[in-house]
Amino acid sequence: MTLRAQIAVVARLDLAEVLRSRWLVFCLIVHAVLAAMFVLVGLRESGVVGFTGMGRALMSWSHALLFLLPLLALSATGQVVNTARDDGSLELLLANPVSRAGYFVGTSLVRMAALVLPLLVAMPAVALVGAGAFGQEVPWGFLLRGVAVSTALLLCFTAIGLWVSTLVRNQAKALMLTILLWAAGVALIDFGLIGLMLQWELPPQAVFALALLNPVQCARLALLSAAQPELSTFGPVGFYLANHIGPDGLFWLGIGWPLLLGLTAWVWSLGAFRRRDLV
Amino acid sequence: MRVELANVGKRFGRVEALRGVTFELPAGSRTALIGPNGSGKSTLVRALLGMLRTGGEVRFDGAPAGDDRRELARRIAYVPQIAPRLAAPVRDVVRAVAGLRGVAWHTIAAVAADLGVDLDQLAARPFRALSGGQRQKVLAALALASSAELLLLDEPTASMDPRSRSAFFARVEALPSSVTILLCSHRLDEIRRLVDRVVVLTEGQVAWQGAAGAYLDDHAEAIVEVDAAGEPAAVWLREQGFVQGATGWWSRALPVAQRARLLGEITHRLDGTLRDVIARDVERLQPPGGGTAS
Repeated sequence: MTLRAQIAVVARLDLAEVLRSRWLVFCLIVHAVLAAMFVLVGLRESGVVGFTGMGRALMSWSHALLFLLPLLALSATGQVVNTARDDGSLELLLANPVSRAGYFVGTSLVRMAALVLPLLVAMPAVALVGAGAFGQEVPWGFLLRGVAVSTALLLCFTAIGLWVSTLVRNQAKALMLTILLWAAGVALIDFGLIGLMLQWELPPQAVFALALLNPVQCARLALLSAAQPELSTFGPVGFYLANHIGPDGLFWLGIGWPLLLGLTAWVWSLGAFRRRDLV
Repeated sequence: MRVELANVGKRFGRVEALRGVTFELPAGSRTALIGPNGSGKSTLVRALLGMLRTGGEVRFDGAPAGDDRRELARRIAYVPQIAPRLAAPVRDVVRAVAGLRGVAWHTIAAVAADLGVDLDQLAARPFRALSGGQRQKVLAALALASSAELLLLDEPTASMDPRSRSAFFARVEALPSSVTILLCSHRLDEIRRLVDRVVVLTEGQVAWQGAAGAYLDDHAEAIVEVDAAGEPAAVWLREQGFVQGATGWWSRALPVAQRARLLGEITHRLDGTLRDVIARDVERLQPPGGGTAS
């Protein structure tokens, strides 16, 4: 049986797990509730970082997603492999002619699709509903930017979750680590780091580097890159970068770094999964 | 398939789960792997399945297992003791394994029916919604239908009812004589019916290996229970070493080889006073003289 066929077999079985756990529905509901809230509250005559109307609502929503998506991704994937190991399903499946790579790729694809698809459905749907209900014009450019950045961030943290679930055998420890990773991601944006710099007298270069290593910060800057850079909204790191690499550079950095980090985590997980004891 | 294990070792942190395990499963042999909980039986089975990295060497038909185990996995079938609680429907689970192994649905369904499970009826139900016995029967059917050359059975009938166990035994007995079987089990009836060799693991080491008959002679014990009326019967039973329980039944343990003779004596001596007699085989954990012979 080809690798593609093995992946399809594993994916079909894992999809049943995902549907049973209702992650797809949960993600859609979370996106819809958040979006509805921002559309209803956000469509007023005021401006935020240069955005008005629907653009402002989408901007606010996207920003909220930046904090929520890592949590969704980590909680959906941080216990995938270790749970399968503990409940015997990994043992059962790999006792058959399925390669370890086939299993890991199949599971990864399903988990990524389960997290990304609701986002791809919800974002345009919210924009269209908002436009129809309030007569606003849909800012398609910003919408696409938001979808791209959110997808990159989601894939990054999905891969990090798989990395945790592969390397940490104990489910409770894996859960703790995912919570810590999420907290670090949302706390260590440059405003938080400036606090650390002042407290511990860290050199500014170190703060800039730490801020840029954080995929949440990169995604945030990519979203903001559509607006005129201001120190108060971009923060020191964003403001510095916006003036040095420009809005396009900021945007591609916000997509490229999370994807690269996610790819690294995923390849690392795959290697560990292929080499290590499975039960 | 011939399987050779040479000095196989496995350590989990400070725990040495397997230590210098060396034995051979000749092609077509049927071997029981027994030992107390934590003795390393499951670890050894998982090592054979390629799920653990072990020290030493495992060879299949003279060749090392290698890293790509897909081709080898096609030749090995496995029935776990506890079936996983997969959310996928039974249909998907069976089709997945059938597809991976190239076995037709109706072949698996026929074996499952023999074991007392109607696959077509259960097809739409989530695998996890089946009872433990039903799940084990489905997995046993998948393994038995797979035409594997090596069957690894880890307490395969632990959750099965007596009729299904009997059907399972018959199916295993009907397998081609070239099929090698490694059975983890504590059940004497399984050992008696299904295997010709026994390997005993204790604390990760091979403590004993030899013919199943020799093992059974050392470990199989019969419990005879008698319900008889009257004082003469009680006196005779007491003389024979029987002890009366709270329910009024008399019971005695004895080597299996002496069971038939004792039953004959009971029916002869207690003629007219005998109300009922029951005999059953149990495993004596500690053989006479303590320890295990090698």
